Amino acid sequence: MSIAPKALRSLLPVLVILALIALVPLASPSNRFLSLAISAGINVIALYGLSVLFGQTGILSMGHAALVGVGAYASAILARDFGVGFWLALPVAAIASAVFAMIVGIPSLRVGGHHFVIMTFAFGQLVAIVLTNGGDYTGAATGLDLTDHVTLFDADMTDLTRYYLMVVAFVTAAAVASWAIIHSSYGRTLRAIRENEKLAASLGINVGRHKIGAFVVSGVFAGISGVLLAYFLGHISPSQFSSFPSIYLALMVMIGGARLIEGPLAGGILVAFLPEVLNLDPVQSRIVYGVCLIAVIMLLPDGLIGGIVRALRGLFAGKPKPETERETAPSEARQ
Amino acid sequence: MQQVSIAVDIFIQQILNGLSIASVITLIAIGVTLIFGLTGIINFAHGEFLMIGGIVTWLAVSAGLGFALAVVLAILAVGLMGYVLERGLFRFTLERPTNGFIVSLGLIVVLQHVVVLFWNPNQKSIPRPLTTVWEVGGVRIASVRVMVILITIAVVALSFRMITASRYGRALRASVEDRDTAALMGIPVRRYITGVFVLGSALAGLGGALLIALFPITPFTGGTMVMKGFAVALIGGLGNIYGAVAAGLILGIVEGFSAGYGFSQWTDAYSFVLMILVLIVRPHGLFGGTSGPRMAS
Repeated sequence: MSIAPKALRSLLPVLVILALIALVPLASPSNRFLSLAISAGINVIALYGLSVLFGQTGILSMGHAALVGVGAYASAILARDFGVGFWLALPVAAIASAVFAMIVGIPSLRVGGHHFVIMTFAFGQLVAIVLTNGGDYTGAATGLDLTDHVTLFDADMTDLTRYYLMVVAFVTAAAVASWAIIHSSYGRTLRAIRENEKLAASLGINVGRHKIGAFVVSGVFAGISGVLLAYFLGHISPSQFSSFPSIYLALMVMIGGARLIEGPLAGGILVAFLPEVLNLDPVQSRIVYGVCLIAVIMLLPDGLIGGIVRALRGLFAGKPKPETERETAPSEARQ
Repeated sequence: MQQVSIAVDIFIQQILNGLSIASVITLIAIGVTLIFGLTGIINFAHGEFLMIGGIVTWLAVSAGLGFALAVVLAILAVGLMGYVLERGLFRFTLERPTNGFIVSLGLIVVLQHVVVLFWNPNQKSIPRPLTTVWEVGGVRIASVRVMVILITIAVVALSFRMITASRYGRALRASVEDRDTAALMGIPVRRYITGVFVLGSALAGLGGALLIALFPITPFTGGTMVMKGFAVALIGGLGNIYGAVAAGLILGIVEGFSAGYGFSQWTDAYSFVLMILVLIVRPHGLFGGTSGPRMAS
């Protein structure tokens, strides 16, 4: 698998931005800023998974927060019952979320198209209900505590600044992984499915298996994000992973733009910091998110970053180039 | 003998409870299924339409109006909202139903929090419009539940009659079957789409008014209710109104029983499990549905 130098150039802006973000602690930011940034970063990792699913394959999941929840609960239960620490919990939770994604994906993708979204939504709700009714094992509605510290080379990472840097490192890994998927032949296969499912199938692509595969990949990202979330918050509860958090994740990825590699980063950061910048209370900021989402879908179908890129190109080139990736919504396969 | 009659009492009681909730869910499911059948748009915000119907009823009753008048106001207000949203937003997403779905996600967030902003997130309830409880052979029948069931039966029967027997209904069914051909036959399909949005919204408004007569509601009630509405619509087959009514009955009875026999904490899970199972076995629903409108693409 060779990657063209042109493809490498598309990774560069993200790496530069992330390097700048990693320098933020030098400006001695407030703890509140760091906490917000960490939450944003944890979301961004999950969003990269969602962008592979939605941006590349064209299938929208409304249960992504449930996959994050599987990872978070897996790490909390591992720490409680088996004394498993952060670093071992990471791969285990990622596998747990991926397996769960596969269990959800097989029946959901069988029904296809419109029904898939509703199925993932239903599975998300079911996860929250099961966690709530899980008794002592899942801590019922109050959830679970996770007070273990994260250590790396004998250094305690629980300190906010260190945790921030670690999350930035994970975001970078997620961005690079998602970039590698986009530019691999696997990514091309997924895009072929997105653009025309029937045509892809007629070329010998196993559409069903690849769709489930993309869902499983999104689960891996979600699981890792869940572990980071559980260790950061120290407490998790079912309501964090029900269907509404899933809607917010979908909203972030669409506001940022699902197809470009900058999209999830922009969406996660924007949604986290918009209320701070505009000085809004949570209720007002949610109204603003909703309006933003509607406006982005109606006016900038490539998401905010896509819109900015196009505007810049228009400015420099005189007229906008015909984009290869123009629509946000996948062209739907007609049965 | 005594034991048996008590069991029968509880049985009838649970059927009544289940049916009254099923009525509200069926009202949502009909709207969802009609809108999907004609436009292919999965309107997730339909539950919020219902919630707003409940809020309007609550406002009207709190302002001293009678319940009957409040119901009419709720139907009109939500119908008007449906009209405005269709003309202002969903009209532009007809060619891309997925965008319509995403817009509806945005609407969920906006509508919920606008209500929270103006009328706080707490539970809202109205005094029961009918307080009589009939005792028939040991079975206690709350008249308000009977009222909800009867109103729903009347409205559903009327909608059926309209869709199966009137020329407008025939034109509507033709448009669901094949939008382009229907348009060629001179049916103003766009106007029918607006009409279906208004009708579906009005039914959701009625559902909200009936719901608040039964239970207190919060600005977040819509989320669970719409999922149940979708579950019912999918179990019955999306686009199939008869299926929606039949599936609503099934779900209502299942939920009523489970609440009556001690599994109440799992009540919300049944609709999802039932839906997932049905879709795995019969992807087009129990009674067969459409897979959305066919469009020239």
